[in-house]
Amino acid sequence: MSATRERMAALKARLEASSPAPPPTPIEPVLAPPRRVFPTPKTRNRFAENAAAHTTALVGIGHVGTRYATDVILQFQAELAVAHQAVATELSESFAAQHALLPLQSRVTSHREFLLRPDLGRRLDEASLARLRSQAMKGIDVQPILADGLSATACMGSGVQLLQSFIRECEAFGLSVGTPVCARFARVWLEDEIGETVQAKVAAILLGERPGLGTGDGLSAYLVHAPKLGKTDGDRNMLSNIHTRGTRPEEAAKRLAVLARAMLEQGTSGVSLDLGKLAKELGDSGGRGYRAPQERVRLVEVPT
Amino acid sequence: MPMRLSSTIRGIAYAFGSVAEVLAKANAPKSGDVLAGLAARDPVERVAARAVLSELTLHDLRESPAVPYEVDELTRMVEDTLDEQAYRALSHLTVGQFREWLLETKTTGPVLRSVAKGLTPEMAAAVCKLMSTLDLMVVSKKCEVVVRANNTFGLAGRLSSRLQPNHPTDDIEGILTSLREGLSYGCGDAVLGVNPATDTPESTAEILKALTGVMEKNGIPTQQCVLSHVTVQLKALELGAPMGLMFQSLSGTEGGNRAFGISLALMDEAYDAMKAKRYAPGPNFMYFETGQGSALSSAAHHGADQLTLEARCYGFARRYEPFLVNTVVGFIGPEYLEDGPQITRAGLEDHFMGKLLGLSMGCDACFTYHARMSQDELEGLKVLLAAAGCSYLMSLPVGDDIMLNYQSTSFHDIPSVQALLGKRPTPEFDAWLAERGIWDDGPGERFGDPAVIR
Amino acid sequence: MSVLVPIVPKVLAVRRLPRAAPALLLAYGADPARHVSLGIVTCDQDDPTYVALDEATKHAAVDVIFARSFYAGAAHSSGRNSGEIMGILAAENPDELEHGLRAMLRCLEHDACFYSADDAGSVTVFPHVVASLGRYLSVKSGLPEGEALAYLVAPPLEATVALDAALKAAEVRPVMIFPPPTETNFAAAWLTGSLNACQAAAEAYAETVVRVAMEPRERWNR
Repeated sequence: MSATRERMAALKARLEASSPAPPPTPIEPVLAPPRRVFPTPKTRNRFAENAAAHTTALVGIGHVGTRYATDVILQFQAELAVAHQAVATELSESFAAQHALLPLQSRVTSHREFLLRPDLGRRLDEASLARLRSQAMKGIDVQPILADGLSATACMGSGVQLLQSFIRECEAFGLSVGTPVCARFARVWLEDEIGETVQAKVAAILLGERPGLGTGDGLSAYLVHAPKLGKTDGDRNMLSNIHTRGTRPEEAAKRLAVLARAMLEQGTSGVSLDLGKLAKELGDSGGRGYRAPQERVRLVEVPT
Repeated sequence: MPMRLSSTIRGIAYAFGSVAEVLAKANAPKSGDVLAGLAARDPVERVAARAVLSELTLHDLRESPAVPYEVDELTRMVEDTLDEQAYRALSHLTVGQFREWLLETKTTGPVLRSVAKGLTPEMAAAVCKLMSTLDLMVVSKKCEVVVRANNTFGLAGRLSSRLQPNHPTDDIEGILTSLREGLSYGCGDAVLGVNPATDTPESTAEILKALTGVMEKNGIPTQQCVLSHVTVQLKALELGAPMGLMFQSLSGTEGGNRAFGISLALMDEAYDAMKAKRYAPGPNFMYFETGQGSALSSAAHHGADQLTLEARCYGFARRYEPFLVNTVVGFIGPEYLEDGPQITRAGLEDHFMGKLLGLSMGCDACFTYHARMSQDELEGLKVLLAAAGCSYLMSLPVGDDIMLNYQSTSFHDIPSVQALLGKRPTPEFDAWLAERGIWDDGPGERFGDPAVIR
Repeated sequence: MSVLVPIVPKVLAVRRLPRAAPALLLAYGADPARHVSLGIVTCDQDDPTYVALDEATKHAAVDVIFARSFYAGAAHSSGRNSGEIMGILAAENPDELEHGLRAMLRCLEHDACFYSADDAGSVTVFPHVVASLGRYLSVKSGLPEGEALAYLVAPPLEATVALDAALKAAEVRPVMIFPPPTETNFAAAWLTGSLNACQAAAEAYAETVVRVAMEPRERWNR
């Protein structure tokens, strides 16, 4: 056999036995990359600074390759976890009693069923209906309802404060307020059956709203005039984004009482309620669901 | 002769009362069908229904629309405008045979395009129910739907994105901030599309003008859109607002559309107005969004399952040869699509049905925070969609919509998926990215640098 | 991976002219005073044939009077017997010619050949080492007979990258560098040095051609 063929056979054997990957390239010392989320002033860029004045969108965060930096992914995961946890939290059965509220429950029997069956979340179970009939005041102007909705966390957080402020504001307007109740596994439309049962002129349900990224503490309120089964969304007025970074509970309570009084005066609610005269008292919200931009807060801190 | 709607599995006979019941029970598991009381009671009954469905002919399906001709203008429109020649080529096939024909290698994209106008939505929905995830992807990939507005959209080997710079108070600077960030990641060739917080003609026009300013100052070959109600956009058009695409959400029944405040006549009017006053030169200028469950949520489902009704949205949409159509698959909530597997399946189904019916189909792969879907599952869905030839995905800062409070696709996801699958945005936009140093066979010097956009 | 598999040259035609016409001898560069018999060979690989013709000069009293590659290589040849090269050995008599032809054919069968550099065999490499130059290549290279020569050929880009590796792999110096395109659209180089150095250079050359063929578009960070 020829010398060249022998040497090529040996080289072939060596190449085949070696890693199929190209040989490693020499590596330089790696510099520590900068923080991308809420950077310290020293590294803050002008775009991110400008952006912060106008939006809470997570922008100006740079990239590694085409992906996120580690502190971006951790902030994102923390925000996602907060939202998921708010949804997963259940309102404890003893919560109503602890706060001297009449305990009610919808026809829903489990948290999963609550998410999957909005129809059951709009109706009271038999025991609750009986309790409401026997223990609640009837024929009142306003029936206040606190409920879990899609965030029991928010309900248990500033829910009671909002409820009590709302009752106080209504009474200050001289409105008669019904027995405060607290409903588990409740959807917005549950206010129809509750209000109808106690013959309230206005039903007001204050409940945890569907969490956004990093926020699980927002409450919404839905008011309806002449509540009864069969009312639709167009019959209601609502105020959302009630939390310390949006509309504060005390302020929200005032606006909701203004809405309730307007419904009683005009004898209607929803799209046919004339809000024009109330603009000043309602602020920018106008019952239309205005959202103030929220501040984005750092969720992850690791002591170093 | 009445159709026999029964089958037997391991000696147990399953009988069904109507084509609608067969269609509903053959559907992949969806919480919305359970909510509507239409779903199969167990997995075996589901297969029994599929077996019956596989023996129905396309002719049978045309004869049994999900909502009767007499009571629904969408059914009438589809029936009266069906391409009879294309229909006759396939009408004798059973749904099972139709599935196999779709999967045949010789059934190419041009062949599929030529039969699309002979298919009713119910046919697309029916065959969809007999297909697995990979079946759906293989056939979708073959359908090439190419349209044009300011750029040429939907070509093979391309993956585009809608840039969605929503803001909770429509703050123009806030919108433009997200817009600049997104453009610097190479996003936005499908549309720069803002969901407004305030649904008025004035604010719609104001946002459109702001988007147009950025497009013109930077020479960006894309189209602009504000997703307010079509009646509001019509007024904005009268105010002289520059409008690249006109948007509307669609439902699959006349009643569902009534709940959306639209009708066939209104959409025809919108189409004509846009044809006369559109901003972009191309022949396609409408943009529609859909999503399984919308008809049931307005109690206008007529006992039909949500997949079949979704297909009917596409039957509505194709009348207007839209530039864009996308399903907003995970937005509606867990009462219609419970979790990651259901949302994933629905996204691929909707994309398949839309493409089969000849639409320029994209998908908003997304979840709300009360659905049981993880971020990892969502990222997987984006890759599956892109591999199936999905025309576009959404793009937002970190995928977070700060106004609508849901999780979608991010600015970073678009170039990641494109690079992973060797895809590029539309040719015109791709050339612009190279010229601006944003992307040229890899991230350019200005990639991710919003200062590149004036 | 299956690379560096020998691709044995195909000898397409061998014809002898025991007593060639003087005019023919003159036209093809022979010396009618010394040369009587001609042996004409065509082959589908040109560079192994050059080496094999040189090999013949070490085993018999023959001269290489003619050797030319054909344009664009064996895939575009003028006929099924043309290949990509024709070579002619000349001798005083038919016996001596036959000795030379045998040595040449042996070399093509068992020694000099191209090797595959990728799985499809669509990239090939000739990393041959002539341990001791014969009379033909010593004249062509200007080196003394008996010197070692690394005779290196590959497609243009592979050849260019691999030549750099070969020059850096051992104590060799370039004798001739043939940038692309050669007649057959390849690129080549002749390097010399000690036999060990030539062998190391040829190996580095072969390995580099294989690696470039594996990843023709190098990835780099921008």
